[in-house]
Amino acid sequence: MGRLLLLGNESIARGALEAGLAVAAGYPGTPSTEVIETLMKEKDRYVEWSVNEKVAFETAYGAAISGAYSLVSMKHVGLNVASDALMSSSYTGVEGAMVIFSAGDPSMWSSQNEQDNRYYGLMALIPVFEPFDPQSAHDLTVKAFEFSTKVKHPVLLVSNTRVNHSRTWVDVGELKPPVWGKLVKKPQVYSLVPAIARGNREKQLKRWELITEGVKEFNTIEGDGRKLIVTAGVGYAYVKELVEGDVRILRLGVSVPLNREQVLKAVEGVEEILVVEELEPIVETQLKNILFDEGIRVKVHGKDYVPRVGELTFEKVGKAVSKFLGLPFVEVKEPEVKIPDRPPALCPGCPHRSSFVDLKRGVVKGGLNTTFFSGDIGCYSLGVLPPFNSQDSLTEMGSSLGIANGIFRATNTVPVAVIGDSTFFHNGLSGLANAVYNNLPVLVVVLDNRVTAMTGQNPSPSREIEIEDVAKGLGVEFVKAFDPFNVKESIDVISEATRWVKENKKPAVVVAKRACALDVLDKVDGELPIAVVDEKKCTGCSICYDFFTCPAITVGKDKKAVIDQVLCIGCGACVPVCPYNAISLKGDVPKGWDEVWLS
Amino acid sequence: MAKLNIVIGGVGGQGVITMGKMLIRAVKPEYKAVASETHGLAQRGGAVNVHVRIGDVYAPLVPLGRADYVIGLEAIEGLRNIRYACDSCVLVLNNKVQRPAIPKVALPTIDELINTAKNYVKVVVLVNAEDLALKAGNVKAANTVIIGTMLAVGKLRDFVDEEVLVNSLNDVNRKALYLGMENYDIVFSK
Repeated sequence: MGRLLLLGNESIARGALEAGLAVAAGYPGTPSTEVIETLMKEKDRYVEWSVNEKVAFETAYGAAISGAYSLVSMKHVGLNVASDALMSSSYTGVEGAMVIFSAGDPSMWSSQNEQDNRYYGLMALIPVFEPFDPQSAHDLTVKAFEFSTKVKHPVLLVSNTRVNHSRTWVDVGELKPPVWGKLVKKPQVYSLVPAIARGNREKQLKRWELITEGVKEFNTIEGDGRKLIVTAGVGYAYVKELVEGDVRILRLGVSVPLNREQVLKAVEGVEEILVVEELEPIVETQLKNILFDEGIRVKVHGKDYVPRVGELTFEKVGKAVSKFLGLPFVEVKEPEVKIPDRPPALCPGCPHRSSFVDLKRGVVKGGLNTTFFSGDIGCYSLGVLPPFNSQDSLTEMGSSLGIANGIFRATNTVPVAVIGDSTFFHNGLSGLANAVYNNLPVLVVVLDNRVTAMTGQNPSPSREIEIEDVAKGLGVEFVKAFDPFNVKESIDVISEATRWVKENKKPAVVVAKRACALDVLDKVDGELPIAVVDEKKCTGCSICYDFFTCPAITVGKDKKAVIDQVLCIGCGACVPVCPYNAISLKGDVPKGWDEVWLS
Repeated sequence: MAKLNIVIGGVGGQGVITMGKMLIRAVKPEYKAVASETHGLAQRGGAVNVHVRIGDVYAPLVPLGRADYVIGLEAIEGLRNIRYACDSCVLVLNNKVQRPAIPKVALPTIDELINTAKNYVKVVVLVNAEDLALKAGNVKAANTVIIGTMLAVGKLRDFVDEEVLVNSLNDVNRKALYLGMENYDIVFSK
């Protein structure tokens, strides 16, 4: 019908709309976020950011068991949060269509691990659709909805960064009106008490047979030769560009499960096989299973040739393919260029920078000279970097509170739990309830910047629900908020809370309230003020650029501070940081400036 | 069939993704085009890059040693991606060295960066992209300035439709594009 310039994730959203999507829910996480962001523009469908992936999953599932077409979106680790619901969904199946979109992050550009979620397909008995570029992402999404409704079973759509975040021209079709559900009550299917679950287990395996038969249509056999390359996902894009001549290629649009009959057809007359897939040997293992069963003794290369670590590249696939085809491979020698690292940094104006500075001084003033900063997932994870060094652990969403408990029980050291507002609602509530229930002496610092900032300022429940009220409601006796840009007040609140925790052996919650600087800039119009350095007063002590490290402050002559005119947003956070009062603000603030920062 | 590989390096927030988008939007209809982007946490003031591939391409990333252009929207970030440069590569550097936000960092000068680059590329072009963008009306148009320079030096002109590109830009960016086409220094060529 037309051609649009789309990101892989936008292609998936477009495919869902063409399939008749009615209900979509998700939790933001790179590289998945743009699917829900794109769907949200459609007013005739119901689309929401849920508080976490489990709730999002159940929302889409609830819609699908009433006959609607639904989608749930999350990053790979989000599916861990939703995995309880995932396993059950496979037992019951669905009435309409349910597509579970999970975006993986090989090489961990923005994640804590690079788990391969295709394993969930094998574990839960849910087929895994795996696109190789934005066009196939679009096409497979449409087909995934059709297949789900045909087999009455949820399906997984798994793709990784280089599909999700590639942009290209995509041929698209017509949008279809949403397929809504109607109230159907089938407790004999959807109420998984043991007697019903046992029956469902049998039916699940029957559906799995149907699915295994049905997946053939999403796979193709291309070319011919005595050598076979089996490939799925982005692996196909590399193979397609690298391989010429007498090679047979089995391209899998669905990588779980493999279809025995199709595999046998592909391996007919083949002398050697190479499996090219990102991360884990999911296809390789299934393939070897089938060949072993059939007594076919043909050499299968997979993870012995293609690395298991990190995303695929031309170099990795090129080396494997050359070795497999017996062709020479010239390795490119990487030049050694000495340049400074540039890790990601908190933005100019980020309230977290000020919070970290206040926090360190506040806990010491409160008498806690040694502590453990139990951290969490968000922009503030960057507090792990120098000069802050204020995230001694951060492992998954909500980890700060649970780990703080373990640290205290094992060491008797009073810990500090640092968690963002969106993460607090995602998976922090149960940890805080546990801290109250089990009398954990912990200083909980909620960094409330009013948005889910890291994924692009997505909305956060903190806009609708006051964190202080939640903490009080859960039984926390000491609850106070502070403005991190107000250094004196912040240190006072943090030190008072610290002393209270030590004396009362119970949790205290302090909330740093100031909006994400990027969100502020989006919401105001007009010229910004700018920080200026009084050269006469500046002593070159380096506190502002070496210990506060705002990217807008750089070093000039005689180590004096210089403000970068392009980067500075005039937030004023650096003003109280200078011990010599050498920094001040120049210019007027735009209309509504203070209100937006403190909203 | 012909291919053009471009790697754009920059600092998160500089408009690296936008630059990739502008390029592939203007690619001539007979060519395929794909841009592979960096999103999320890595974007926050950190080193980011975008791979743009045009022509007979399927894969999202540029092979090492195969980029026809390496672009540094910030000069250090140009050098960080120098491993992608092919022998005939055009390196376009914005005349700007931005300090990474880490304590006690030693910064290279632009001349040191250019000297290093000479070992790996055929042409080094220096552009005062921010100044020119300001002159055009908005400092954020620095990426468009650089696209202008790429049209003036190297093979980009064979792959994009200049009219489509110009029509996709607003007045400020159009001005920035033309300023970039006319104001650059070839500081090295072999």
